[in-house]
Amino acid sequence: MMRFYVIILFMLMTILSAEDSCISCHTELDEERDDGDKIVVGYMTGIHAKKDVGCADCHGGDPEAFDDEDEAMWDVDDFLADMEKQDQLDMCGKCHSDPQYMRMFSASIKTDQVSQYLTSDHGKSLVKGNQKVAVCSDCHSNHGILPVKDPRSKVYALNVPVTCARCHADGQYMKDSGLPTDQLIQFKNSVHGEALLEREDISAPACNDCHGNHGAAPPDVVHVKDICGTCHVNNRDLFQKSHLFSVLSKEGFGQCEACHENHAVLKPNDSFLDWSENSVCIKCHLDGGSAKLMADHFYTIIDSLKQNLQLAHSIVDSAENKGMIVSDLFFDLEEARKVLIHTRTNIHSFNITYVDTNAAPGFKASQAAILGAKASLNELSFRRKGLFYFSLIITFLVVVLGIKIKRFKK
Amino acid sequence: MSNIYQWINERLELDDAIKFAKKKRVPVFYGTVWYYLGGVSLFLFAIQLVTGILLVLYYQPGAETAFESVKFIVSKVEFGWLIREIHSWSANLFILFVFFHMFTVFFAKAYRKPREMTWITGMLLLVLGLAFGFSGYLLPWNELAYFATKVGSDIAGAIPWVGEFMLRVLRAGDEVTGATLTRFYGIHIAILPGIFTILLVMHLMMVQFQGMSVPPEIEKIPEKDRKTIPFFPDFVLRDFMIWLIVLNVIALLAVFFPWELGQKADALAPAPAGIRPEWYFMFMFQTLKMIPAHVLFLEGELVGVMFFAIGGLIWFFVPFLDKKAHVGIRSRFWTWFGIFLVVYIIVLTIWGYLV
Amino acid sequence: MTKQSRRTFLDWLLRGGLTAWFASIIYPVFKYMIPPDAPELNISQIEAGTLSDFPKGSSKIIRMGRTPVIVLRKKKGDFKALEATCTHLDCTVQFKTDTEQIWCACHNGFYDVEGRNISGPPPRPLGQFNVTLKDDKVIITKKDLA
Repeated sequence: MMRFYVIILFMLMTILSAEDSCISCHTELDEERDDGDKIVVGYMTGIHAKKDVGCADCHGGDPEAFDDEDEAMWDVDDFLADMEKQDQLDMCGKCHSDPQYMRMFSASIKTDQVSQYLTSDHGKSLVKGNQKVAVCSDCHSNHGILPVKDPRSKVYALNVPVTCARCHADGQYMKDSGLPTDQLIQFKNSVHGEALLEREDISAPACNDCHGNHGAAPPDVVHVKDICGTCHVNNRDLFQKSHLFSVLSKEGFGQCEACHENHAVLKPNDSFLDWSENSVCIKCHLDGGSAKLMADHFYTIIDSLKQNLQLAHSIVDSAENKGMIVSDLFFDLEEARKVLIHTRTNIHSFNITYVDTNAAPGFKASQAAILGAKASLNELSFRRKGLFYFSLIITFLVVVLGIKIKRFKK
Repeated sequence: MSNIYQWINERLELDDAIKFAKKKRVPVFYGTVWYYLGGVSLFLFAIQLVTGILLVLYYQPGAETAFESVKFIVSKVEFGWLIREIHSWSANLFILFVFFHMFTVFFAKAYRKPREMTWITGMLLLVLGLAFGFSGYLLPWNELAYFATKVGSDIAGAIPWVGEFMLRVLRAGDEVTGATLTRFYGIHIAILPGIFTILLVMHLMMVQFQGMSVPPEIEKIPEKDRKTIPFFPDFVLRDFMIWLIVLNVIALLAVFFPWELGQKADALAPAPAGIRPEWYFMFMFQTLKMIPAHVLFLEGELVGVMFFAIGGLIWFFVPFLDKKAHVGIRSRFWTWFGIFLVVYIIVLTIWGYLV
Repeated sequence: MTKQSRRTFLDWLLRGGLTAWFASIIYPVFKYMIPPDAPELNISQIEAGTLSDFPKGSSKIIRMGRTPVIVLRKKKGDFKALEATCTHLDCTVQFKTDTEQIWCACHNGFYDVEGRNISGPPPRPLGQFNVTLKDDKVIITKKDLA
């Protein structure tokens, strides 16, 4: 397959090189840049070649000049190469910020990338002259630029963390910025990182889903709830209305991340509520008090929902293992499981009455499953009793018949 | 009571039948116990008939409804579970007892003149019994049954010339679908019971008219020295006693070892692990699995099918092949042939379950 | 006891035993024949309710075998039935009457009324069911694969 691909590529190159001096010369040179980017091969696999955007469309120069290097490149006015980062914005923006031009390729294509970029921390630093910040090519590649939905693209959801980490995890490189460099490690162990990188679930958030794409910047502390609330909408809504939210905001203690961390968002665990070393409440409420009472209450509710569900499950399973048909009861179990999940969300209201009221159907559902399963276990003991009496009758008959048969012998 | 009896008697001559039954005598010797095996098989068939008719009241064939209606029977209908369990258990016991019955008859050489036709009808009844099992297995439309039927009918497709045709007729199409289920249902509740009943009546009538066979060495004893008991009421009462015990065993199995309903069949789902046919097909299934893909120039499956076809035909026509039996001599060859067959079936069945 | 009376006693026992045995067989068979109250477990077709149960812009979640199904009636008046389990992480979805969208509260996933996933984490559209009206009954049926 690979070989086939290369052959096609070379055929394409020969056809194209007949009219484009950039490709014909640079193919012969077979250049490879420091970051492994092969100019021609990269370009040919990328989106620009597919859309017939040639080298000169970005770099300028004269692709029809075959004989002389200077004539093709250095002597041409608009020729751009080895440019400053700032110039790259203009180069890409020349097309990508032109709605009329970009509409040729797609009616709904976005053209605000450069203006967004200038609002980002990357953009702002660049304007100040920082040459270390990322520009277009740092994330999108130099020549092998692929659409974001192409899994080979460096900005495809699964590849984003590594792409960002190329700079952000490099302590040496980030030294002057004063930023931490452990985000990738933290993210990898987080519930999001596990979903994205290990289960390859592209619905899980990558860096850009919280920080933005071209307008990348750390979210404001006061807006964290809305960033998380993009997906965790119920948690956000409940939290926003809670007294805890107003206290935290007033004191500047953060929002979601105060308990859940930011990059290292752990898979929530019921022991977060348990008043022990795992507890997230204890981080601030060192002396316990009313916070401990509330946490204890929530923990008890969730734990007893869990216990009830487990008990119901085990009784239903045992009825099923004994050959009873209990598939209807799995609906009740499912209901109880859902209430348990919702209760874990509801505690973000930090309101005992609210949590209790909404947990009630869960207890009811577990109870229904337990009753149903017990009924079928009763049915089982009815069957066994029935069998016992039936066997008794038959034994009696067999004995009487036996006596009768003996008499015939005589 | 006696008036009703009298009324019926005047029309159907019950007295004659009882007189016949009383006059008929059953030999008593070491093998008398074998005589019960046929009776037990008959009783199990009667249970099948009754429970089968009861199941028809609620069962709905069809890919969408079959599984649900069986589930409905076992979970919603009162005693529905009992009817289904008894039907499945006595089906299995039926095949088991028919096998016992067949082998005791074989080793007692009871197929010899004048009972060749009893053997032949018995063999046909066995084939029909297996067909009952094969068709009935699919009816709950669960995963295992679905795939077992797929594999089982594939084997029919391996028969030369007519295989493809038979496969299509059996499956009512190229695949196992709802149409197959409807067809199997028809076969199971209409076609098979009809043919079975006719053959069964022939089989029983021959047994009644020709009386019980005794092995050659007992036959050599002069008739007046042989011990016998009257068929009615002595033997009939014993028969009944054993039937009661068998019924009790079935009830016990039904309560303590229920048959799983499993998951609904899904044609698009991958085949589950551990697809296997009913145990009585296991030795054939295992044989086919052991035969290499190609034997000389023939396909492995074809060789297997041919092997069983030839073996079956020999077994079928044993009364005509075993000439010695007709003159009252036990043929060693045929005894060993039978022993080999019993051992073969037992070993391959166990093997099939081990792998 | 004389031989004669012993014999009649034995016959009585036999008769009694036979009657009990017969009764113990007839009883389950008789019970079996009585159709149960529970409606028949019909998996391919289910009644979601009557027309009056569905004012315009309302929805209801029903069970079809093991699958929960959301039956909704748009403001325009037509019906739609979709699988009610979110394709993301199996939460049960709900119908938002104001925007006429289907919403999963767990991670803010949105589907349009046709069941197509339009925003948020859901990776796939929701499964489809057929809705037919028979007199004033709303009947949900499984959609054929073909």
